[in-house]
Amino acid sequence: MTSVPIVAARGVSKSFFGNRVLSDVSIALAPGRIHALLGENGAGKSTLINLLSGALVPDSGSIEVDGRSVRSLTPSEARRAGIAVVQQELGLTSDLSVAENIGLGAYPRRFGLIDYRRLARRAREVCDLVGLHEDLSTPVAGLPLGRRQLVEIAKALFREPRVLILDEPTSSLSAHEADTLTRLLRRLRDAGTAVLYISHRLNEVMRLCDHVTVLKDGALTADRSLEGVDASGLVRLMVGRDPGDLFPRWTPSDARETVVTVTGFSAGVLRDIDLEIRRGEILGIGGLVGQGQEELLLGLYGALPGKARKAAFNGVAGLPGSVMRANALGLAYVPADRKREGLHLTHTIAWNMMVPSFGRARALSFRRRADERALATALADRLDIKGDLTRQVQALSGGNQQKVALAKWMPSDPPILLLNDPTRGVDVETKREIYVLLRSFAAEGRAVVLSSSDTPELVHLCDRVAVMREGRIVSTLAHGEATEEAIVAAAMAAEPARAAA
Amino acid sequence: MSTPATERFPGFRIMNVLRSRAFLTVAIVAAVWVIAGLLKPGFGAYGHLRYLLELAAVIGIVAIGQTLVVIAGGIDLSVGAIVTVSAVGVPLASFAGDTSGIGAIAIVLAAATGIGFLNGLGVAFLRVHPMIMTLAMATFLQGVLILIAGGTAISAGSPVLSWLGNARPIGIPAGVVLWIFAAAAALLLMHTTPFGARVYALGANPLAAALSGINTRATTIAVYAICGFFAGLAGVLVLGMNGQGYVGIGDPYLLASIAAVVLGGTSILGGSGTYAGTIPGAVLLVTITALITVVNASPGWRSILFGSLILVLLLFSGREAARR
Amino acid sequence: MSTPSAVAQRSLYWPVQWSRNRGLFGLFVVVVGFLLLYAYLFPGFLSVSGVAKFTQSWFPLALVAMAQAILMLTGGISLAIGPLVSLGAVVAATTMTGPPGALGGIAAVALTGLGIGAVSGVIVVRLRLPAIVVTLAAAFIIGGVALLILPRPGGAIPLWFSELLAGNMPVALGVLVVIALLWKVYLATPLGLSLYAAGENPVGAYRSGVPVDAARIVAYAISGLLCTLAGLFVAAQTGSGDPVIGNAFTLNSIAAAVLGGVGFLGGRGTMRGALAGSLLLSLMISVMFFLGFSPVAQYVAQGLIIIGAVALPEIRRWRTVV
Repeated sequence: MTSVPIVAARGVSKSFFGNRVLSDVSIALAPGRIHALLGENGAGKSTLINLLSGALVPDSGSIEVDGRSVRSLTPSEARRAGIAVVQQELGLTSDLSVAENIGLGAYPRRFGLIDYRRLARRAREVCDLVGLHEDLSTPVAGLPLGRRQLVEIAKALFREPRVLILDEPTSSLSAHEADTLTRLLRRLRDAGTAVLYISHRLNEVMRLCDHVTVLKDGALTADRSLEGVDASGLVRLMVGRDPGDLFPRWTPSDARETVVTVTGFSAGVLRDIDLEIRRGEILGIGGLVGQGQEELLLGLYGALPGKARKAAFNGVAGLPGSVMRANALGLAYVPADRKREGLHLTHTIAWNMMVPSFGRARALSFRRRADERALATALADRLDIKGDLTRQVQALSGGNQQKVALAKWMPSDPPILLLNDPTRGVDVETKREIYVLLRSFAAEGRAVVLSSSDTPELVHLCDRVAVMREGRIVSTLAHGEATEEAIVAAAMAAEPARAAA
Repeated sequence: MSTPATERFPGFRIMNVLRSRAFLTVAIVAAVWVIAGLLKPGFGAYGHLRYLLELAAVIGIVAIGQTLVVIAGGIDLSVGAIVTVSAVGVPLASFAGDTSGIGAIAIVLAAATGIGFLNGLGVAFLRVHPMIMTLAMATFLQGVLILIAGGTAISAGSPVLSWLGNARPIGIPAGVVLWIFAAAAALLLMHTTPFGARVYALGANPLAAALSGINTRATTIAVYAICGFFAGLAGVLVLGMNGQGYVGIGDPYLLASIAAVVLGGTSILGGSGTYAGTIPGAVLLVTITALITVVNASPGWRSILFGSLILVLLLFSGREAARR
Repeated sequence: MSTPSAVAQRSLYWPVQWSRNRGLFGLFVVVVGFLLLYAYLFPGFLSVSGVAKFTQSWFPLALVAMAQAILMLTGGISLAIGPLVSLGAVVAATTMTGPPGALGGIAAVALTGLGIGAVSGVIVVRLRLPAIVVTLAAAFIIGGVALLILPRPGGAIPLWFSELLAGNMPVALGVLVVIALLWKVYLATPLGLSLYAAGENPVGAYRSGVPVDAARIVAYAISGLLCTLAGLFVAAQTGSGDPVIGNAFTLNSIAAAVLGGVGFLGGRGTMRGALAGSLLLSLMISVMFFLGFSPVAQYVAQGLIIIGAVALPEIRRWRTVV
């Protein structure tokens, strides 16, 4: 392990819109080693990967390839150097076939044309490696998310990389698919490939990786061998405190009046959901990625057409049917993808806070600027959003953007809050503030529905946790019963059966 | 721990105005006027400038609707056809007892609004791409126009129309007066009402707007209906200025309205911009046309110059960030 | 393991080609239906000269539909299609009987299209200006150049050339087949196929090492070439050049491409779809003409059919969209 790293970053920093995302970070990827990169959402992991693969250029510091410093690495140089990345956000072209996607940018040629025979042969090889048995001519648009993720991995392997960077590759894979990937990565390591592995699943990291780099809020907190480190030690390094401290003390609330009831609710992938939401509680929605959690929230919010045998919202019978109706019934929704669904990035902070009010107010009345300003200032004070509110929202950090996405609902004082993964890509401090805020909402007698991909949130924050699998609620656990193990067990129950099929 | 209001909302900064695209367009217009006035005697004469504004009024009124539609993230390719419908329609809609001509104008404006409403229905409910919807509408209207008007020019004369074409209250052409009122209404609508804010929200991020409880369908329909109305109003003004309407009279205004919107700094991708930029955009457009006429070039050269100037101006004001 | 992967996939190209028909069968059925209707209404269609005449009415629309579809695949659009067709016609009519000779004239037409296309591509791609506005300005410039070259309809096309392309033999159909095959060849090159990735997901494509800018600029050049070739054909049909003859093609090219299922946002759609869309549009016009529809009815029907064709698949998807 004394060999020269194939690619390394030396003291790199990077800012976006004036926000420091990485400061003075170094990392070295050595051949024959699986290197874990850990950090909370928003700690700067994706930015670091983009610097290592030439997709971004560092503001300061340098990238070294085979020991030589490269001033500005371009994606094509990175590719020539043998660096391949499996991105978290999929970069596939839906109208092209599996094979054409795998070979994209590196097609084998004959007489200037794509050599489809060689492409088929080599694509087949890498597909077999990752366990992708679909026909190579299938258009990618027709594949489910997990299979597309495998296409991404196959695409990286197709380039026969010396450095393979995987950004949360297992987030949408089944247990079986993930096992195949684990075996593959071990084989690649033994063949001398440098692997950088990013994952939120600590046990996966402990099982697979040799070395770990930890980022916290854009700075390096650890760069060491994984030997002799336990999982809670890793969490301390990532979070900077004991995981328990992150959450406010849970106290049972006694107000238990039901505000939302749905029976036999179906919409999109949702099948026959029975659900009660009570005043004064935080109801957690858990499960593996993409089991219908988002559809459930959107369905309750009237944004997804659905049917229910029986439904009552705030005493009114029937499903809302439209977002405007849902708003009138007292529901509010904070989406997971705040950039695409929650915010108007090029508009100002204050303006974004007013958007639901614009929807509610009479179309042709006059806006009262003074009132708007006072309200925006009050909201910013309450949520501790600092500084000039006439800045564009895209200039804010992820955590502050999330606060704006939350703040815009507060003027209408909604009794039912639907939150979809509100702490995704949010720094630790803001996470804590959001947790406190959610508990205080519940204490004020609101009903909070929290869908989360972060199991500890469900364990420590929620009064009840509904676990979803394949569009159904398979289990509802009360605060005490909802341990991480219980939630994961409920979420994975059907996995062995599916893997065998 | 409240933060002082001045920190939350920094006061009016003159630099922000000076840096805005709308102001940039005003500055370009002023520069062109000054230079042309110095080089070409007669250009700077009050009468000539007044004439330019009168021409700009038609484009400016059509561009009110186009600005709104573009900010809302769409585009309306049927405005030219609607201008024609209105210019040809007013004489046809006139009826006995309507001595002032107001009745015919009201009927035609209602029809124009209805056409825009249909465009909006198609875009909002059938989810047809705006370009296709309004294109198909233009095709449809062209058919109707050929049927009702054929190849002949239809003359019109009513007191209201001749007032629009000839009157000069306090020395300002009636068309310009109409434009001033329309522009004031448009600016108020865009910048002081919740409806205006909804239009920006819709254009900047339709999904986020819908999830924030904004009625995106109703907003879309309203925007296209307003666009139809103003195209119809421009048609009435054109008829007043020309004295007669014929098939094809509105065609130049389609591209002119889009060009005025873009020159005024409104993003063709939606979500940002203001009619305050479109106004100098329209004036700039007629100024360029007038200058090209002044140099006495052939129609071919005029067209080339016009296109090249738009392209050059775009480099100043139309740059977009990368699309994705 | 008895998975299909154990058997090496012998051929990939043809299955891929076949899978590109996905979603187009409905359109193909409608086109065949219209072809049968047309053959029924106009039995002369089923002769060599009948086919020749029909393809001649379809040919220029087919080319401009392809030209527009290529740009839509890049995520762009062109409002300069019509003027470029006119320019092609004007260049052909002024050069083919002049000193450059027929072949020199054809070369001039082709180079004009390639050059103008490439320049607009560079402006859109490199200067990051929105395609719709650049091509709008280009439409004025190109139209002006056409007017400069030939202020009023005139010029001439060699008679033999007109006879060849627009005579009683279906030469135009042959040319169209050759053009479609050339497109297939281009799409089989790495740069050609990259067009899809560059249009749908430019950032992802760039990170995969796709020459995104080059793919888009070449697309603009090819698009320009197809437009001027359509102009060459129109000139051959009429025997002379007309500086405004192409104007209607801008809108019809968009309509045809959209009818053929080409998406506005880039990376979605196929050339066979665009061709089928243009065929449908020209069949509709011919059928309505034979049925004696008045112009207004033709326009109305055309507008309604375009909206209907675009709206129907959306309505089917209605229930599942947010």
